Amino acid sequence: MRIALIYACLALLALPAQAQHAHGEGRMDIAIDRERLAISLELPLDAAVGFERAPKTEKEKAALAAAQQAVADPTLFMPTPAAACKPEAPKVVLPESGKAGGEQHADIEASHVFRCANPAALKSVETTIFKSFKRLYRLEARRAGPGGQGAARLTPKHPVIAW
Amino acid sequence: MTAVLRLAALSAWSRRLTLGLSLIAIALAVTLLLAVERIRGDARQNFAQSVSGVDLVVGARGGSVQLMLYAVFHAGAASNNISWDSYRAIATHPAVDWALPLSLGDSHRGFAVLGTVPEYFQRFRHGDGEALRFREGRAFGGVFEVVLGSEVVQRLGYRLGDSITLSHGMSELGPAHGDKPFRVVGILAATGTPVDRTLHVGLEAISALHLDWVGGAPLPGVNIPSELVTKFDLKPKEITAALVGLKQRGDVFRMQRFVNQYRGEPLLGVMPGVALDELWQTIGIVERSLLAVSALVVLVGLAGLAATLLAGLNERRRELAILRALGAGPGEIFLMLTAEGLLVTILGALLGLLLLGAGSGLAAPWLLERFGVVLATRLPGNEELALIGAVILTGLVASLVPGWRAWRRSLADGLTPRL
Repeated sequence: MRIALIYACLALLALPAQAQHAHGEGRMDIAIDRERLAISLELPLDAAVGFERAPKTEKEKAALAAAQQAVADPTLFMPTPAAACKPEAPKVVLPESGKAGGEQHADIEASHVFRCANPAALKSVETTIFKSFKRLYRLEARRAGPGGQGAARLTPKHPVIAW
Repeated sequence: MTAVLRLAALSAWSRRLTLGLSLIAIALAVTLLLAVERIRGDARQNFAQSVSGVDLVVGARGGSVQLMLYAVFHAGAASNNISWDSYRAIATHPAVDWALPLSLGDSHRGFAVLGTVPEYFQRFRHGDGEALRFREGRAFGGVFEVVLGSEVVQRLGYRLGDSITLSHGMSELGPAHGDKPFRVVGILAATGTPVDRTLHVGLEAISALHLDWVGGAPLPGVNIPSELVTKFDLKPKEITAALVGLKQRGDVFRMQRFVNQYRGEPLLGVMPGVALDELWQTIGIVERSLLAVSALVVLVGLAGLAATLLAGLNERRRELAILRALGAGPGEIFLMLTAEGLLVTILGALLGLLLLGAGSGLAAPWLLERFGVVLATRLPGNEELALIGAVILTGLVASLVPGWRAWRRSLADGLTPRL
């Protein structure tokens, strides 16, 4: 009975089952399979460029292009140097312009893949994303790989997930 | 130098009662501080060890913590079951290496009964990828065979070949499945995980137990004896949850999406390692507050020590003055007083460590039983040593105060008779 009570208390702290789109909060998933390190990033358009619809003015178009370039930057994520990971060409998916019609939330998605010569030394990933996106205040990171799973909250002050 | 320290020790011994009380206060404070740190660390480690080999926990849609609690820790109850077809769809997914169905809901004298498949004993991993080991016997094969976790055996004293009955639901007073006894065919070695507190039976056994039941109660007038149950279709129609292991552990994000977007019924896939980390993030503030409170208690203890030493200075005016008259410099007096405070702090910290050892030995069974936390009796780890170091350092700082006061006293102070 008492154990049930304790667990009930824990359950009250229930976490969101699936973190939803929230302004200022990005999500990143880190998957490690042998020498391949794949990082997928979801960035709310609002945090990236400050608006959440198709760009209207030249200035907004330029902002979107700059954001696209920033998330495609191969140095956006820095795995443990000792793991000797080399980036492959990142892929970026912008929200389909016009379709959202200004009503729905939109995310910029990017996927970065690395090949690591020494995957055993891979113990952390650091990001420079907070330098490029000042409106982003938090990145919820999840990781899965041979070493198990974990989660961490990355912030401008602590932009590292380590395990 | 050694003479000064010897004097300090002897002088302290002559005031052993007051200093002893300070020492006990410090020891208790250190015990509290270390206990908080240890329970915190051990609880995390336990939880992590229990799920280390599982990539995804699948159940009916609901809270992720709730799903984790009943699927992994067998605590609480499922809001809903998932159908056998959904389970098969997940188990046969190309990315899946193994999948173990779990059927929960029955109990035996407070211990959870888990219905699963014999592969559970080969596939389940805990700790550093360790497999389950049989201390005695074998996996269940027949319908009415049961495999016991080590703690069930330890607490209830069963042996191979014993016959036990299960009860419906998690309450000890629930309706019994007394008409269908089980034979103990295997006993697992201790793992330090919830497996130790679980009775394992086949999924068919769970179906067989509930053949003549409808809606959570026995059908009046219907009683299907044990010998005849095999004539019925015992294939499970639904299960409570499933544990999934993947061929490549990094595939879990893809697999989780597959589960969460499964069209047959609303399912929830939880990454156990991620869910635990998120849980610790949430309750981290509580942990830190507890640690802060115990650190304050240590500070109070050390402040008490400084106060005792300061108050002692007045009683010891004569003693200190005589030492000065005999040739001790102010520096030596300072050293003597500081050494005394430091000595009491160090002894207090050591005593606290001993108390923690004894206390965790005594409290471990209770913690395990009530909260499922395995408290290991072991040497202090790095973080605990760092805490002890911090305590001793603070004790040193606190002892500097009386040392400094004594140092400033003039030579004549204690020798001048006061009328």
